[in-house]
Amino acid sequence: MNLIPRSLSRASRGRSRRERLATAGLATAGLLAVVLTFTIIALFVHGSIPFVRTVPLREFLGGTRWAPLHEPASYGILPLVGATVVTTGIALAVAVPLGLLSAVFLSTYAPSSVRRVFKPALELLAGIPTVVYGFFALRFVTPLLQSLIPVLGFWNGLSAGLVMGIMIVPYMASLSEDVLYAVPRSLWEGAYALGATRFETVIRVVIPAALSGIGAAFILAMTRAVGETMIVALAAGRTPTWPPDPTQPLLTLTTAIVNIATGDHEATAFIWSAVFAIGLLLFLTTLVLNTVSYLVIQRFRQRYA
Amino acid sequence: MRGRRTVGWVFAALAAAALGVSLVVLIVLIAITALQAGPITSMRAVSGAGISLSLRSLDIPGTRDSLAYATVAQVEAGSPAAGLGMSRGDALIEVGGTGVDRPSRAWDTVGAAPGGREVTLPVAWMPRSEVTLGALRATSVQGAPRVVLSSPSESAKAGALRAGDVLLAVGGIPIVGTRQAWEALVVAARTQGTPIELSLERDGELQVLRWDPTVRAELRFVRDPLRAWWTFLTTLNEPRYPERAGLLPAFAGSVYVVLVMGAVAFPLGIAGAVYLEEYAPSNVLTRVIEVLVANLAGMPSAVVGIIGLEVFARALGAGRSILAGGFTLSILILPMMIVAVREALRAVPQTLREAALAVGATRWETVRHHVLPYALPGILTGTILSFSRALGEAAPLLLLGAFLFVTYVPQGLGDSFTVVPLQIFEWATRPQDGFATVAAAAIVVLVALLLVLNAVAIILRNRFQRRWSG
Repeated sequence: MNLIPRSLSRASRGRSRRERLATAGLATAGLLAVVLTFTIIALFVHGSIPFVRTVPLREFLGGTRWAPLHEPASYGILPLVGATVVTTGIALAVAVPLGLLSAVFLSTYAPSSVRRVFKPALELLAGIPTVVYGFFALRFVTPLLQSLIPVLGFWNGLSAGLVMGIMIVPYMASLSEDVLYAVPRSLWEGAYALGATRFETVIRVVIPAALSGIGAAFILAMTRAVGETMIVALAAGRTPTWPPDPTQPLLTLTTAIVNIATGDHEATAFIWSAVFAIGLLLFLTTLVLNTVSYLVIQRFRQRYA
Repeated sequence: MRGRRTVGWVFAALAAAALGVSLVVLIVLIAITALQAGPITSMRAVSGAGISLSLRSLDIPGTRDSLAYATVAQVEAGSPAAGLGMSRGDALIEVGGTGVDRPSRAWDTVGAAPGGREVTLPVAWMPRSEVTLGALRATSVQGAPRVVLSSPSESAKAGALRAGDVLLAVGGIPIVGTRQAWEALVVAARTQGTPIELSLERDGELQVLRWDPTVRAELRFVRDPLRAWWTFLTTLNEPRYPERAGLLPAFAGSVYVVLVMGAVAFPLGIAGAVYLEEYAPSNVLTRVIEVLVANLAGMPSAVVGIIGLEVFARALGAGRSILAGGFTLSILILPMMIVAVREALRAVPQTLREAALAVGATRWETVRHHVLPYALPGILTGTILSFSRALGEAAPLLLLGAFLFVTYVPQGLGDSFTVVPLQIFEWATRPQDGFATVAAAAIVVLVALLLVLNAVAIILRNRFQRRWSG
């Protein structure tokens, strides 16, 4: 641990005390992530206890009616899950092909001068706040789509999902580009040496080699879409429907939380435990997805390190 | 061979098109939003003349129709409009010869009028009911409502109305109520022009009067984009009228919240990253920490909002204050900071550390005097990127219950607040005329700020990357 021979350090008592202090302080900060994670889990589990006690798990996970503020209350989460799946699905259908192809273009075809301009441009665009995309969906994409699909509601999952997809493109492109860039040059050059064209190299060699990394990027894009709040809150409406219809208003898991949290309820009201239950579900989902993609990317990097 | 080539070219074109389409869509997004903010100049020109407008509507009795009109909701004291004698409760009928059926019509007309920065347009308005008509009394005869002019105003007398007249209809619109009588005058004056035809019963006889109760004058409007944007940025928010919306409270709130967040997340982020990168032994615990940091960085912002609400606002009693908001955002930003700072530390050459250790520096001295200064540009880049992310974040603060209707600049850490993205959200959800315009204007301000911050960060990074590698 200690790399300095004791005889070399002068005035060592003061310095070593400072050293111990610094180590302790830094370690505390380092452990903060662990403390934070367990605090969050404890908080959510504790908060959802009243909910779990009152609402049977079967009704929560299998019910098709979400009406926590009606009499009689009903806590079926399927409409929320369905809405989240619909908007996430639409978003990924836009973001994955566009993002992946952009990444392939940047890493394979683009001259380095083009790459130097476009990579930062993508990063800049990834910094646009989500509320801006929500405004765009509500004020521009929905009216545009309504002229094509007359039955489309003022609030709908389609427009929210499409714009969410556009939002994720820079993120997906940036992640996949990193992954493709990490594939060793020797693999590219080996394929070229065997007479493969660039297209064949990318499709048959590079993408298969980078598949696990691309999968991880896909999962990260998915967690972004699942957790997205402002776009759906603005453009997708606040109505729980079952079965979910992308042309009609939808209530996703995140907007359900917003709905209750902004509803001015007493801090002790039972409804808050529903917020914790949904929050716990969201947190666990993203925890699993993030962990899987993190481990996959780590392994991918190690394989080609 | 040729087939292989073609497939390759098609694929290359497709890939280039994908990148092109994505970038074009994103740029169109920003351009369209910026264009939507355009009318702010004419909105400010109208409010600068002293008038705030509200949309009202009148249901036409006996039909399902309703007609919209615009009332003067506020007249600023000392303004040109007040000088002309306009007052609160009047209805605007015409601007520049165009009938005003809703607030946006007045703004658009002023905006589209030919002329330079200053333009003088004729305006016509109907003074409020007490001035135009006087005192009215509602009675009913066999269930049918009757509106009687009990005490005519000067203006009504000038129009040959007398006390005791029963108002029946104006321009074909039946009069059924005291308030509705004036509204019918307003709508008739706009749709049918003046003089209007007023049917009334006087001494048991039906009479039709032709009467022009409107007041006409010339009003000067100043259309100055710079002034419009400047007042938008520097005035307090008037939540009911989009033409008096101001971004100052939200802007100040954003600055305060990010400062609090920075005071928490900056030192903790650097300390955590230094521990993981320079101190942590390579064992299971370290790997677990790394996974958890990655997880926290990907946590949905709604979940962060619940934590902020429960821990800071409720358990620690900070309420819905700037302090609670700053702490909440620091949970969101901390993992991002750690990841960014670690990257900066990793770029510091190993030889630097070894050299410091070799001359007898302790580990902390090495970090403090050599590694951190060397990594500073990278750390700053990561910090700017994380902070600009926090500036655009609305969801956690929305859950925290940051007030959407904050009209003042917060004075201390315990005050309630709103931030720019939340203010945009609030404006974007309002259906009334003009709020979309101010939402777009606020977006232009926010996006410009973030693009500048991010560009600075990216340029900084590229510059130092080149220096290190070269």
